[in-house]
Amino acid sequence: MTLTRPLLAALALIASFGSAVADVVATDILGRVVHLPEPARHIVLGEGRHLTVLGLIHDDPVSLVTGWRLDKALDEPTMQAYREKFPDIDEIRPVGSGNRDISAEAIIALHPDLVVLTLIDQGDPGMEVARQQIEAAGIPVAYVDFFSHPQENSIPSLQILGKLIGAEERAEEFADFYEARLARIRDRLAAPDITRPRVFFHVHAAPQSCCSTVGTGVFHDFITTAGGQNIGNDTVKGVLGNVSLEYLIGADPDVYIATGGTHMAVRGGLVLGSGVDADTAQASFDKLISAPGFSSLRAVEEGRVAGVWHLFNDSPVHIALIEYLAKTFHPDLFQDVDPAATLAEINARFLPVTVPGTWWVTPEQ
Amino acid sequence: MSDAILQRYHRQSRRNALLVGVLALAALAALLLDLVTGPAGLPLADTLRALTGGEVTRGTQVIVWDVRLPVACMALLVGAALALAGAEMQTVLENPLAEPFTLGVSSSAALGAAVAIVLGLTVPGLPPVWSVSGNAFLFALGALGLLQLLGRIRGGGPEVLILFGVALNFTAAALLSLLQFVASADALQQLVFWTMGSLASAQWPGVVLIGVVLVVAVPFSFRAAWKLTALRLGEDQAKSFGVDVTGLRRWTLLRVSLLAASAVSMVGVIGFVGLAGPHIARMLVGENHRVFLPASLLTGALVMSLASTLSKTLVPGVLLPVGLVTSLIGLPIFFALILRGRRR
Repeated sequence: MTLTRPLLAALALIASFGSAVADVVATDILGRVVHLPEPARHIVLGEGRHLTVLGLIHDDPVSLVTGWRLDKALDEPTMQAYREKFPDIDEIRPVGSGNRDISAEAIIALHPDLVVLTLIDQGDPGMEVARQQIEAAGIPVAYVDFFSHPQENSIPSLQILGKLIGAEERAEEFADFYEARLARIRDRLAAPDITRPRVFFHVHAAPQSCCSTVGTGVFHDFITTAGGQNIGNDTVKGVLGNVSLEYLIGADPDVYIATGGTHMAVRGGLVLGSGVDADTAQASFDKLISAPGFSSLRAVEEGRVAGVWHLFNDSPVHIALIEYLAKTFHPDLFQDVDPAATLAEINARFLPVTVPGTWWVTPEQ
Repeated sequence: MSDAILQRYHRQSRRNALLVGVLALAALAALLLDLVTGPAGLPLADTLRALTGGEVTRGTQVIVWDVRLPVACMALLVGAALALAGAEMQTVLENPLAEPFTLGVSSSAALGAAVAIVLGLTVPGLPPVWSVSGNAFLFALGALGLLQLLGRIRGGGPEVLILFGVALNFTAAALLSLLQFVASADALQQLVFWTMGSLASAQWPGVVLIGVVLVVAVPFSFRAAWKLTALRLGEDQAKSFGVDVTGLRRWTLLRVSLLAASAVSMVGVIGFVGLAGPHIARMLVGENHRVFLPASLLTGALVMSLASTLSKTLVPGVLLPVGLVTSLIGLPIFFALILRGRRR
């Protein structure tokens, strides 16, 4: 150790001289300056889902990724859709080490030219050690965030990735597209006299064991931006928490939104998302809102209710969800807004692969 | 007649010394095995060259020196500390079930970790990387301090200490559950992994710390060996040899506290080693603490070192929590040893 420390310091010094002439310099979401000698071509993703984010700014994201933390990589229908176009996706090496940690050794052995971590990893002691070891091996690490603070950080994070892989123009193009849509929502909700409906957000929704809801974080931000008041924020401290069915009925929300995904099939809950057809989604949603307790909610009786895909988080594609929520909360204000068209445009203009699925559902008319 | 007994004693001593030597070599071999295995699949020659200071790539250098070596050393030292602590605890508490786990040290350490992870309350001035370990250490030490204090009030007999230990265990476990209940999803996940025991975040300062604790504690342990052997014959017997049993118990528990608390705080909850390490050693060399204590220490080191290797090789690409490996892999071997021992 006593010998390696000065050696590493010397190497770091040499590296910093080298960086003075580096082609690629970016400031990551934590404000750390990341130097690359040239745009990254062998990336390790600390968050597997970010492959689809790279897809927004690169025609062949699979070719850029050498390794990923597998436990939260893409869901099977998404994997399948990517695999059809990019068979090499199965060559991406897993670098996970248990559920949340990553293996510094596995990463260093892959000789990547960039490791992308997500903001949630910051502060986790295990990840900090791994990051130090990776950087000691001369591999740059950049932090991005599409999850913790999606609205403030998504576009800057996309721009950081754009810089690091040499796709700044594509990133700017998406940023313009995203910000124009976000601005439209914010402008129309700017009037002070708009009543913001009280929204209950039931996450991972199932008819039994009511109800997980969100206090702060991702979905809370989406609700607020879309012009709603998150009533979970009054009771739940932190990102996720549980309330009882009695609480929900007593709270009498104006709007009830359930989230679900294919993972809810085993729990008899709301099934929708990638690879799910409209009929399946409709059937599981109808079962949910006709369950005792839920069916008697005023929001359900008045039809101010919807189910949305839970995994809109961790990608700037969430702009479509924000539009959908805005339209549900304020149908009059956003009559002309079409979130399905937004998704279609993202698929057509940006993403290399279109994943089939059902992303939202309302009661049958 | 007495000649025969003496001869048998000498033969046994030689055999025991040999066994301790074999254990030491085995532990060393396990350490080497731990150093040359890993998900990177480095060629053996490269690993050895990196270890001996030869010419290797920077990546290999970092993998061997910064990733593998601290983990391997940590495994060895933690195993040694836990097993030695367990061995001494079993003797002074006259109970074969005594170990850091049963006396509430592990759950108290976990409670300390939870206070850091969930509530964010840490020792002021400690760097964030150390906050969890620091809290775990304080709580573990606090638990054993409390145990000593309560024991002294009630006379400090072994049954009283064990009962207080068990009560402390449940108290810490209940408070831990309470914190888990209010924890956020992220914090809960971190906490659950911590309680499974992990070597993944082993770092040099931690290795040095636990090394220092061992270097300080071991000479005292070995010096107390004959008194502990005497105590093993029964408290009255030991007193008749002139052993100050109360003093012996107090000092031993203090030593053991330091060993157990520093080990648990570094790597989280590791089952099996503190309990079974000493028992395996006992089956091998018997009750004479002059060989039993070093044999326990080496058995613990050997078991943890092997567990460390297994935890990264059992499921390729995944680092299994080492606490699970010690228990799940170690217990069948332990069962077998007990059964064989009974038949003899």
